[in-house]
Amino acid sequence: MLSADPRGEGTRPFRIAGVYEPTPDPSRFTAKRLEARMHLPDLLALTADSDEAGAADSVGAINIVLKDAGDVDAFARELGARAPGVSVVRATAGDDEHFLIIERFHVAISAVTLIGSTAFLLALMVIRADERREVAGLLLLLGVRRRRILAQALLEGLCIAAAGAVFGVLFAVLTQGAVNAFFQWRYDTSLIFVRVTPAIAARCVALALPLGVMAGLLASWTLLRRPVLDLLRR
Amino acid sequence: MSPLQFAWRSLSRQPARAVLGLTGVAVVGALLFDMLLLSRGLIVSFRQLLESTGFDVRVTATEALPGLGPPVADASAAAETLRRLPELADVVPVRFAAAGIESPDKKAREVAIIGSETRRRGEWQVLRGADLTESTAGGRHDMVVNRTFARDHALEPGSIVRLTSTLPPKEFRVTGIVEFPFESASDGMAGVTLAGFAEAFPASEADEADLLLVASKPGVGTEAAVAAIRGARPDLHSFSIDEVLERLRQAEFSYFRQVSFVLATIASFFALLLVTTLLTVSVNQRLGEVAALRALGFSRKRIVADLVAESALLVGGGGLLSIPLGFLLARGLDSILRQMPGLPLRLHFFVFEPRALALHLGFLVLAAVIAATYPVVLATRLPIAATLRKESVS
Repeated sequence: MLSADPRGEGTRPFRIAGVYEPTPDPSRFTAKRLEARMHLPDLLALTADSDEAGAADSVGAINIVLKDAGDVDAFARELGARAPGVSVVRATAGDDEHFLIIERFHVAISAVTLIGSTAFLLALMVIRADERREVAGLLLLLGVRRRRILAQALLEGLCIAAAGAVFGVLFAVLTQGAVNAFFQWRYDTSLIFVRVTPAIAARCVALALPLGVMAGLLASWTLLRRPVLDLLRR
Repeated sequence: MSPLQFAWRSLSRQPARAVLGLTGVAVVGALLFDMLLLSRGLIVSFRQLLESTGFDVRVTATEALPGLGPPVADASAAAETLRRLPELADVVPVRFAAAGIESPDKKAREVAIIGSETRRRGEWQVLRGADLTESTAGGRHDMVVNRTFARDHALEPGSIVRLTSTLPPKEFRVTGIVEFPFESASDGMAGVTLAGFAEAFPASEADEADLLLVASKPGVGTEAAVAAIRGARPDLHSFSIDEVLERLRQAEFSYFRQVSFVLATIASFFALLLVTTLLTVSVNQRLGEVAALRALGFSRKRIVADLVAESALLVGGGGLLSIPLGFLLARGLDSILRQMPGLPLRLHFFVFEPRALALHLGFLVLAAVIAATYPVVLATRLPIAATLRKESVS
């Protein structure tokens, strides 16, 4: 039984034909709503004010598909001239400003995380370089050039960064399902919240590799610029 | 030498490592602090907005939040009934609608119109000019407009506004420029009297209200006022500010709460991992030193105290730096999120509460203790003689 009156007057019976999954709407997924769909004449009959002339033949909006999507402005002008008071709202998909801003927010959070990870990585590389202080001193005493040792550190850093980046991407790919499942359960929606695309994976690797290499080089360079005897603790 | 002094010397022996550790903890600590500010920021900010109106109860026709459900019928009778309740100080019916207006560039624009009785409390703040009156001088009702509407249409007190969504178009006289509590930076808003509203929207029912704003009498309390309203008009739905916020917390604001929870967990884990790694490596590099100290008579407890102090210095130092850094970062992130169209100008995502600071400190203390656990176990179970022998041989 449905009624348009908050006091429940004028109820009308409806038969439930089926249960449907609403089209996922990113702008409304947090709202818990009771929703029903019915034929337009039934809705008008349920909600129209009998005292108001023409109420049974009025709608809130009309969805229109233009033959040429580029004609929106011309169509809006023409409609405005023919039917004053009717406004045209362009339906956009994918470039909603809300989501562009959420994306900007997530990028900013990623940048902060990147700064934290860089400090962590540098600390690890400094520790690693320090652990090999005596080996580096011995190599220098044996005649190995600093540039050669730095090149070795660069290769090592590259391998570690590549392994870390690949592990990170694989971890994200494997856990994205769990993240999506949690939020889909939490908000009762079929929207996809996390998707690791090749472009995102490539961006991660492109950021991680130079960072890893730079951290390794910097840590090794701070060690190698010391005198040999200092490296050997003499 | 106290454990803290000893820990300080251990850290200052490796300044680069200590500085990087502090930096890492400060950055992830700032992120953690910001996520704590975000987790309740919208709720705290929204409460401040609701409270700034001076009304602590909202009455609607259904359980839907104000403005989202059908209007209250026979609004004047409902308002009169409620005004007679001794628990209530004020009852104001409010109407919402959107009207078309012709802009200076001759394009049709939409403006949100609020219909209310002449102002009694903090429904809006007059910035320039005068407030609404019931005057209809020259056949025009009064209107107050927000700064966006005034700027976009070059309006000043005394200007005439022509609504084009009615036939024939209706004119209003601007009496003042105001700030509405829920106005956004991009949307035009205007306030008119209920009589003016009926003039602007002749098709709407004259005696309806989308919302009744209610202020409880000082000393009576919101809950008593809500109970009195429910007793007098059980067919209406009354919400205290706490109830409105709870509804928003469960639904509309939950996304940022979830995001902040996930990021706070990651940030805490990251801080923990960083400090644990630094301490473990530090202990591993000093096994001989620890064994020598034990051989010299340092007790296990003292070794534990030294390591916990070192962890506390790293986490405490980074944690202290993380607070100003967190405030700076919160400002930046807040300014990004507040660019969302349609958001109230005074709404913030990151809002400071003493509770957030207490939680932040709690998390950091926990991180320092957990981070020290493994290195402590490593150092206290060290076989003294074997380690010293191994060190001297190597």
